[in-house]
Amino acid sequence: MRDVVILGIGQTMFGKLPNSTVDELGTQAAERAIEDAGIHPKDIQVAYGARAVDAQVSVQSILRRIGITQIEMHNVENACASGSTAIHLLWKDIAYGIYDIGIVIGVETMTTSSLAGRLIPPAGKDDLNRLIGVTMPSSFALIGRRLMEARGATREDLAYPSFKNHRNACMNPFAQYKKAFTIEEIINSKVICDPLTLYECCPFTDGSASVILCSEEVAKRHTTKLIKIASSVIMTGTYDIVEKDITNFTQLERLAKIAYEKAGIGAEDLDLIELHDAFACEEICAYEALGLCPSGEGLAFMNSGATEIGGKIPVNPSGGLLSLGHPLGASGTRVVCEVTSHLRGEAGQRQVRDAKVGMAEMVGGYLAGMTNPVVGGIQILTK
Amino acid sequence: MEEPIFIRDDIFKSGVNGLSVVANKCNRCGKIAFPKTKYCVHCFNKEMTEVEISRRGKLYSYTITHYPVSKFNPPHAIGLIDLPEGIRIHTPLVMGNKEFKVGSEMEMVIGPVWMEDGKAVIGYKFKDINN
Repeated sequence: MRDVVILGIGQTMFGKLPNSTVDELGTQAAERAIEDAGIHPKDIQVAYGARAVDAQVSVQSILRRIGITQIEMHNVENACASGSTAIHLLWKDIAYGIYDIGIVIGVETMTTSSLAGRLIPPAGKDDLNRLIGVTMPSSFALIGRRLMEARGATREDLAYPSFKNHRNACMNPFAQYKKAFTIEEIINSKVICDPLTLYECCPFTDGSASVILCSEEVAKRHTTKLIKIASSVIMTGTYDIVEKDITNFTQLERLAKIAYEKAGIGAEDLDLIELHDAFACEEICAYEALGLCPSGEGLAFMNSGATEIGGKIPVNPSGGLLSLGHPLGASGTRVVCEVTSHLRGEAGQRQVRDAKVGMAEMVGGYLAGMTNPVVGGIQILTK
Repeated sequence: MEEPIFIRDDIFKSGVNGLSVVANKCNRCGKIAFPKTKYCVHCFNKEMTEVEISRRGKLYSYTITHYPVSKFNPPHAIGLIDLPEGIRIHTPLVMGNKEFKVGSEMEMVIGPVWMEDGKAVIGYKFKDINN
């Protein structure tokens, strides 16, 4: 297996952009990634598109606008982990020597999609949970309630990741909401699925993020800053088990364990994490699942300030999905862009100092009988 | 008599005691699948027996959705119920006068959940026995 390098990153503004099409956003992100990589569009040998909603030949439609044709192209749908999955597939192509350089474009126009204005239900028209009215926010609200009932979390605790991430987003020019909220403002915002409120749920967002991966040999012709993918893992959850304790994200725990092993590192080696914070309370459970603190100590760990920029292990320095927004197909690529900019030392005001190792995580998809997400993806990046 | 319309056909059974909600139990390892699976996804045994799921259970968690979801108008309560046979299921909850409480004893109610083309669609909900 060869080392795989992140040669180029590019993203659009994330926001409510109803006048921008998938083609326009995807093109903008891809052009920025190509420019950042310092390559010619014709250098690209393979392309993957990631889009979760209303998708059909998205990557071909985008890349023909910038003159990339007659190469192998695929479109990937894996719910919120679509972008992570597309990166994983390109990583495999390069790691195993099938291609030397390729592009991934994650894109979504949520505000004009068929999901716009609704609480997102589980996939599948006859999924039992969909029929009985379970949605993404209600699934996570059930987890939030358990954090309060069984773990002694206060209402303020549940809101904290939203407070922290919105504050971080004020330093991110790409964020949909560059606005800090107080804990009280978060708790007192409109109730969506109690205890979850509006500011604890990620908004509907349009945007795109693109990544160019290549072999080390190709990378050395263009740059001396080699940001590598130390490990990339995609794994499906168990379909048949409802977790004993739904605040234990056992699937994410398994996924992280594999990612750490493959990268030859431990959680203690990470300098930053970008993760799926579609709903504020899930970030607290993820701290434990990713091994940032012992099981059962997520709340104390969070309240120590460990996950703030400048803390022991900053989580979502970008502002996360809660402030960036969550254009489903673009979030998995966007987190890799974000971690890469920190490792390069180019993250501006929100830069995590001296970052050398970072994790990009995305999970997504729910089906009846499951309290774990259907898909999880992790990429660990090093320099 | 006209056949009733169910939210999903494979989860209800009509018997001497009226309608019940059914799952599948593996004849070998005893694990229960709800909704039903064709064979046991734990031990891959093909012989499964249809079993009625308990009508009583304990509320493990709940949330009230303040937006329209599926065919329900807000507020729509959703809960997770722990059943004595060791499974936990998602279910709509009947809104009572008091707030829900984790750990409460809950009872299944089978009946119309919404109307479709002028006909009642049958589903299940759980209700706090003391509320």
